[in-house]
Amino acid sequence: MATWAMVFDLRRCIGCNACTIACKQENNLPTGVFFTKTLTEEGGEYPDVKRVYVPTLCNHCESPPCEWVCPTGATYVRTDGIVMVDEDKCIGCGSCIVACPYDARTRVEREHIRAGLFMHGELTAFEQQGVSRFVPGTVAKCTFCHDRIDAGMQPACVVTCPTDARIFGDLDDSESGVRRLIRERGGRAPLAEKNTGPRVFYVD
Amino acid sequence: MIGKRPVQNSVKAGKWLNTSCKMCLFTCNMRALVSDEGVVIKVEGNPTSAANGPHLCPKGNAAITRHYDPNRFKTPVKRSNPEKGPGVDPKWVPISWEEAYDIVARELKKTRDDDPRKLLPAIGNFHKGWLRLWPAVFGTKNVLSSISNYCGGGYHSMNGMIHSTFSVANDVNYCNYWLTNGSGDGFSSHMQVAAQAGVVADARVKRGMKVVCVEPRLSVAGAKAEEWIPIRPATDRLFALGLCHVLVNEKLYDTKFLKRDTNAPYLVGPDGYFVRNAEGEVYVWDTVEGKAKLWNDPSVKDCALEGSYEVQGVSCKPGFQLLRDILQDCTPERMAEITTVPAGTIGRVAREMAKAAQIGSTVEIDGRTLPLRPAAYIYYRGSQAHKYSTMANHAFKLVNMLLGNIDAPGGHVGATLDDKSVDRGHIKPGANGMIDVVTHPHGPPPPFSYPPNETNIAGYFPFGWIPGHLNHEVLSNPDKYNLDYRPDTVLICHANPLWNVTGNRETWYRILRGMRFIFAVDIIPNETNDFADVILPCHDFLESWNMLMNDAGHTEGVSLRQPLTGPLYDTRSEEEIFYELAERLGFLEQYNDALNHAFGFHMKPELLLDNRLKHTDREIARRKGLLWNGQDLDWYIERGHAVTPRRPDKWYRPWEGLRLRFYIEDFLRMRDELKARMEAANVPIRHEWGWECYQPLPLPLLDPVLQEPPEYDLYAISFKEVQINFGETLGNPWIDDIVYRDPVHTTILMNARTGVARGLGNGDIVQLDSPYGHIFGRISLSQGVHPETVAVSNSLSRIATQHKGVRPGGGNFNELLPADLRNTDACSSQLESVARVKITKLAMRASELPAGSVFATGRVH
Repeated sequence: MATWAMVFDLRRCIGCNACTIACKQENNLPTGVFFTKTLTEEGGEYPDVKRVYVPTLCNHCESPPCEWVCPTGATYVRTDGIVMVDEDKCIGCGSCIVACPYDARTRVEREHIRAGLFMHGELTAFEQQGVSRFVPGTVAKCTFCHDRIDAGMQPACVVTCPTDARIFGDLDDSESGVRRLIRERGGRAPLAEKNTGPRVFYVD
Repeated sequence: MIGKRPVQNSVKAGKWLNTSCKMCLFTCNMRALVSDEGVVIKVEGNPTSAANGPHLCPKGNAAITRHYDPNRFKTPVKRSNPEKGPGVDPKWVPISWEEAYDIVARELKKTRDDDPRKLLPAIGNFHKGWLRLWPAVFGTKNVLSSISNYCGGGYHSMNGMIHSTFSVANDVNYCNYWLTNGSGDGFSSHMQVAAQAGVVADARVKRGMKVVCVEPRLSVAGAKAEEWIPIRPATDRLFALGLCHVLVNEKLYDTKFLKRDTNAPYLVGPDGYFVRNAEGEVYVWDTVEGKAKLWNDPSVKDCALEGSYEVQGVSCKPGFQLLRDILQDCTPERMAEITTVPAGTIGRVAREMAKAAQIGSTVEIDGRTLPLRPAAYIYYRGSQAHKYSTMANHAFKLVNMLLGNIDAPGGHVGATLDDKSVDRGHIKPGANGMIDVVTHPHGPPPPFSYPPNETNIAGYFPFGWIPGHLNHEVLSNPDKYNLDYRPDTVLICHANPLWNVTGNRETWYRILRGMRFIFAVDIIPNETNDFADVILPCHDFLESWNMLMNDAGHTEGVSLRQPLTGPLYDTRSEEEIFYELAERLGFLEQYNDALNHAFGFHMKPELLLDNRLKHTDREIARRKGLLWNGQDLDWYIERGHAVTPRRPDKWYRPWEGLRLRFYIEDFLRMRDELKARMEAANVPIRHEWGWECYQPLPLPLLDPVLQEPPEYDLYAISFKEVQINFGETLGNPWIDDIVYRDPVHTTILMNARTGVARGLGNGDIVQLDSPYGHIFGRISLSQGVHPETVAVSNSLSRIATQHKGVRPGGGNFNELLPADLRNTDACSSQLESVARVKITKLAMRASELPAGSVFATGRVH
């Protein structure tokens, strides 16, 4: 069994958000709900300015604080390391949202869904077939595209990225793309001081 | 519970079908999953594509929410509200296709019987460019919109003049030094982003290609560059001339290339024309024998690039020497004063480029020994869309020419728009050993006429590129131009001139309100089709057939588009609509003849369309596929495309043995022919015509925008990024969800120090006044903007429409720009895209902004 991980190559990312929208179409996300986002960090003083685009998503932590705080066991970890939410067990208390240091979780509200993408009072055929995955009032987040992985595919955001800034693979395989990149270019975990053991890494 | 059944769309039951994207004007290869219920539930890049592979940009990823947009026109409609204005509800009433055709054909017949020039078409469908033949056959060469004039008015025709191609790309296969100046190529816009961004990222990360970005705003390219060099807007040509100065004075140029592959040694007389013998053959100076010889004299041992000579009794100099003379006034120090780029930086960049270009080195590709020149200058709208655009484009080309990198591996390479057939080349030999260039692959500009036949006076720009903005000028002052008719009919097809053409909005509204009849062939409501009387709704691209090679960077070959679902609504294909109207108006045969010519079907006569019949979009797509490589539709349906990397023989130096234009004598001929025609016809505006725009070599003149009154003490620039690249995407909820949360696209950006000095802070609401108009908006202070510049995202320039997903900003940036002759390149017809403005803080609070305004929400993710 693999342990799935992702590496972001910050030299490649152009902040285009193709990933964000690929995620929205793959996962039927309502307006205002994001499983992945690209942050922009600007530093320095004119004219010596640097801007970095920083993609973020659920880090599928080895020690996920969201799991510890969940009172119902709705948040659980698959054997391949993917942190999941069972919306049948989730009571929407929001503890996990607070506990997650990465702002990676969203409670999907009824209003998110009812308004529809176009706020036209009815859902499109596309939304009708997809949005029923969400139970209003429960928490949702990135699942590393678990259905796609189970079908032998890579996550949607990884596949669509125009610059191949997202590399996905098996952390247990020392020759995998993710391990190689972490080794060769010094992969670092986000907010390492939180000791959550993220399975998402950044290389500069 | 998750896991019980699939919740992600890609793994649901259905069928993957191949097609190609039309969310911008490029054509990325795409595959789409159609569920068993017939719903399109996922689109991805086609992994077999040599262009974009599995990748799509954010716009391509948002195709589904265009398809299922409930704001789409669902049936033909006619307006019931006679009042027309921005945000005014036309109160559409559904009608049958028969009634719609009856109305449109009846009104068009009136127009055509009266004077066909009275039809103003705005056809912006870049994927079906042949639709523009329809108005031509109708009898008008008018164009209401600007097509690619705004971005590339001077760019495209200059690419034609040098490479005989429509576009150009730095050759990412070998380039090691990528100087980008006002171009998003490979980062954020232009040239098929989902393809180019990938190969450019590979070159940057795997090969260490250095990127240097010269721009007033720290764009995506600037963010990814090793070095961002801020520059004062509209001075890029002066920066390039500074580079030329250093390259020439320090002898950092490719002498062999200039002497053998260009006309730089051709001798130029005092009138600017080449010195010719009686047969029209041009002279060069043989330095070994110390005498003039014809360019093709085999005894020429070495020809002079420099010096002053006398031939046939006239003093003359090689074109290269004339550039040298001009460059005396273009020292880095002098250019630094104008551009604000330090002289040391100009010198350093020139030397770095020359070093990286490895002048003299070669590489073996497919059995050919080619010059290897892995350094190149790429540029586009930001740097070239200015008054002196022809000279700007020429200056950028000259930097590349001095490096000897034109069409060389690693260099600056011309990219054809559409080769039509896999073996068709684009180079033809011309006079005096030079290539015979095609500057307008879409067809030449209309011929000169006076009184003008065209309301945009396109016939006065032999090098021009569809000056849509000049409709504003001519229709506002018809007597000045002696316009002897008044247009009264407008055809809109996938175009939005009220959004994207410069000038005063009220003037545009007045022009459109004055029309007897306006009809639109379109998908969703926008600023312009809100003014229509009848809408003929067409299929979106997921419901359409097409076959197209379209302005790709490093790839060639056609891509298939096929319907993934039946039409969701009562819509038709553009082909069906225009064929029906052609038949009703009685010019079906002529329309088919024009289409046959445009498609190139005469190259394989068995493919010629029967000119008595109406043909489907499917049949046209089928024949275009057959023309490309002899393969029928089933072959394309299985594969999706015939896209392959550009073949080296067509990509690298396809003109081998011919010469390129270093010195562009053609401009003098164009100028003098136009002058003679204007004199003969006694055209009054000849006295204010910008004759100085026609230069065989670029001069360090200052564009008018640099000379506006000093009270306009800032420069305003507009920009776009990939989410809103090429055409309308705002209103698409997934695009909105990104763009309307991003301060880059929801505020006016201003240099932080400048803002503080003027007592301005984040969130302040300000008005920008140019000599021509004003807009307002919230500002954000940033370190990533030149101190004299305010930067306005294209997302801020929408105006209220019937599409409720589109948020209005504080007026349209185009209001700030002059749509006049003084700010139009009299050679290429390029408009000025930079405005001079003054900034005033308004007492308005954010809560007072119009409801639904792009500025009104501020949540940032």
